[in-house]
Amino acid sequence: MNAPDRYERFVVPEGVSKVSYERDTKIINAASFTVEREDHTIGNIVRMQLHRDENVLFAGYKLPHPLQYKILLRIHTTSQSSPMQAYNQAINDLDKELDHLKNEFEVALARHTGKQQTQDY
Amino acid sequence: MAMRFSRDCDACDGDGQCEYCSVEFHLRAKCINDQTLDVTSKDLYSSDHTVVPVDFSDSSTGIDNGESKGIIIVKLRRGQELILRAIARKGIGKDHAKWSPAATVTFMYEPDIYINEELMESLTLEEKREFVESSPTKVFDIHPTTQQVIIHDAEAYTYDDEVIKKAEAMGKPGLVEIHAKEDSFIFTVETTGAVKASQLFLNAIDILKQKLDAVRLSADTVEADEQFGELGAHMRGG
Repeated sequence: MNAPDRYERFVVPEGVSKVSYERDTKIINAASFTVEREDHTIGNIVRMQLHRDENVLFAGYKLPHPLQYKILLRIHTTSQSSPMQAYNQAINDLDKELDHLKNEFEVALARHTGKQQTQDY
Repeated sequence: MAMRFSRDCDACDGDGQCEYCSVEFHLRAKCINDQTLDVTSKDLYSSDHTVVPVDFSDSSTGIDNGESKGIIIVKLRRGQELILRAIARKGIGKDHAKWSPAATVTFMYEPDIYINEELMESLTLEEKREFVESSPTKVFDIHPTTQQVIIHDAEAYTYDDEVIKKAEAMGKPGLVEIHAKEDSFIFTVETTGAVKASQLFLNAIDILKQKLDAVRLSADTVEADEQFGELGAHMRGG
């Protein structure tokens, strides 16, 4: 009765921005990002990438409620960088990693199918 | 071709009835004679010849049955008739599991198997054979010429510690040491047949990249905040 529709999990409604953030008033170089209609798929992978950044002091994410489809991502950085910069950098790095993974997979796949074709004799 | 999601289709206002976001099938079957009529997936006629029902039943047997019968939907008796119109739409697994092309996806750490050769030397051939047999999956084997225990298929190891327990039972702990490599994984992907497994993996990478793109901070979100910046935040909140 109170359950939201399934499409709410991935359809961003009108007027709501996909990602927004609020700086922390009490701590310098800290911000909380709210990503709408996303879940652990993005939250975990971005958090893991942020941990690999040496300028990031703190990075964590949570789903405030399982029936509210958004994630809160909190980032603290050193003064060498800013949370926004770290966030975008992490996403760019992940993009490159996925490109690399895709290329390697395609190479290995071509090698495998090539080997299979010669083995069929 | 690129079929669109009905929700995103602007040609029909998300109705889900137009040619760009849906494929219509129709089926008419009537049983006239005394024999039971099998209504199969072959009786579903598509409005778009590039979209057809999935059917892998014939290739699995390997016997040349001539034409495959297709997947049975329903059986009809004399006088019974079935007329229906079916509309196929594109969707994602998050909406409903029927749209997910992935059947089973598993992952495990790649095992690093080290055989202590000195301890292995002290075993008789019988004991070596027993050791190789003790593993539920074929991980080890006896080399035909040298009669040594070799690793047949490291990836078949399922982290049951049967071989470790067997080694201890034989009084030779530390005969093999198996660790999981921390950064090397073995993924197994099985699909329902709608897409090939390799294609599924590539599609998944593309979708993940799209998601990351959507989640990137745009310049105007940052700009709006930059105008006020740290000072503004402090002024607003203290």
